[in-house]
Amino acid sequence: MDQANAILAGPDALVNYLLLAGLLFACGVFAMISRRNAVGILMGVELMLNAAGINFVAFARFGHATAGGQQLDGQVMTLFIIVLAAAEAAVALALVLAVFQTHKTISLDDVDEMRM
Amino acid sequence: MAVATLIFWLVILVTATSAIVVVTARNILHAAFSLCLAFLGVAAIYVFLHADFVAAVQLIVYVGGILVLILFAIMFSANVVEDTAEGGRSKLALAAGAAAAVAVFAAIVLLTQRLKDPLAAANVHGADHYQAAVSVAAGQTGIGHLLMGQYLLPFEVVSVLLLAALVGAVVIIRKELKN
Repeated sequence: MDQANAILAGPDALVNYLLLAGLLFACGVFAMISRRNAVGILMGVELMLNAAGINFVAFARFGHATAGGQQLDGQVMTLFIIVLAAAEAAVALALVLAVFQTHKTISLDDVDEMRM
Repeated sequence: MAVATLIFWLVILVTATSAIVVVTARNILHAAFSLCLAFLGVAAIYVFLHADFVAAVQLIVYVGGILVLILFAIMFSANVVEDTAEGGRSKLALAAGAAAAVAVFAAIVLLTQRLKDPLAAANVHGADHYQAAVSVAAGQTGIGHLLMGQYLLPFEVVSVLLLAALVGAVVIIRKELKN
């Protein structure tokens, strides 16, 4: 089987992974713009980070092979993304709880004291 | 092979559907549980991409860590009803969000279509690489060598950043609790 066909056609094709990642990213954009709940927005961000991770691993899978075997840099990048997502979620949720302590709401439309 | 294909499409379907439910559900708690399904689907996608270690990390960190944190924040802030209530999201926000999401997705689809031609023309990917089944152990060993070799500095920086983030989170919460 021709290699280009393996990437472009069939169920296990690179394009399918990229389209799924694109859908996850678009969902994240939708959540970030339309949701008012801070936790809901955070969920959208997590979806976008997941989409980026899928892209990295997919390109690592279908990219050039090295002498040592499979190219793994993309997988390492995804590991870094996951760690950064964990750090981001910890800080963001701490902020959400802090805002809730002071404002009794986490709806970002109501937390606008910095607004002119 | 046919069973694997069926499972692949099932995983894609479940992941895509639950991702859409995450952003459209009115009840934020339903969105969180749907997010759990989406994370599990992404982990399955990693398995399909022969990235078993990343899939395990995805399960441990996302499902075991981040999702529990999110559920904790939702229940602690007791704001479940707010997004459920009528007029939780304005029509304008929904329209703007939908327009932006459709634009982003359309751009990605277009770029993906453009990607097809260079890939087919160049045919740079060695068939032996794609066809050869990479053993799980080899992949894990390779990741370990990369993390302890080429990516040692980023690895250490990220660990310090994680520590700083966790300390920062504790400081933020403690200050508020004292008030």
